[in-house]
Amino acid sequence: MSGHTHGLRSWLLQRLSGVYLAIYLVYAIASVLQHGSYSYTEWHAWLVQPVMSIATAGFILAMLAHGWVGMRDVILDYVHHLGVRLMLLTLVGLMLVACGLWAVRVLLLAAG
Amino acid sequence: MSSQQPAPVFLNLFRIRFPVAAVTSIAHRISGVLLFLFFPFLVWLLDLSLQGPDGYARAIALLQPLWVRMGLALIAWSLLHHLLSGIRFLLIDIGAGVSLRVARRTAWIVNLTGLLLGLACLWWLL
Repeated sequence: MSGHTHGLRSWLLQRLSGVYLAIYLVYAIASVLQHGSYSYTEWHAWLVQPVMSIATAGFILAMLAHGWVGMRDVILDYVHHLGVRLMLLTLVGLMLVACGLWAVRVLLLAAG
Repeated sequence: MSSQQPAPVFLNLFRIRFPVAAVTSIAHRISGVLLFLFFPFLVWLLDLSLQGPDGYARAIALLQPLWVRMGLALIAWSLLHHLLSGIRFLLIDIGAGVSLRVARRTAWIVNLTGLLLGLACLWWLL
């Protein structure tokens, strides 16, 4: 992609991932609140249903994209020192990738 | 350089013009950063909660202290404000509610609804 379309791509990615995150979170929080308190067995069973596992993996992926674009915008707007900026962007990227891999591992292990 | 206007010294925060939509926008950023910082804890809780009944009990126990519940209320506000203002920005993107009058009104609605629902979460969590 050329630099010219890069901004538009991020803009679109931020909105698409935002819509997915919103739908997933509203659905997940509503189901949890509606169910009330969970035993471990119920909680585990709810999360490892194939549809829920895949939707949660999608949530993680959307979170990585959304968090990256959002944090990058904030850092580029407020941090002007080039070294500090690069360091923060690196930390954000590493944290997101680490959390993403960790969450995928958790989901795979839970699905057993 | 001496011909430039002097730097503004009028920095009374209560008298600087700060439109309500600017509050919505800056709060969208602040809540977004808070949600980003919360993400590792969310994954950690998910990990613990799926490590058998003992891990699940530990995850629940982690959420009991008062300061954790207050932190969760802050995260709840962040999520609510970020979600509501995000929907508002999406609507503005597609051309809905762009006029100044309507945009101001929806900014007020988003800010107040987020705050009230956030306080309701605090009350519920305490």
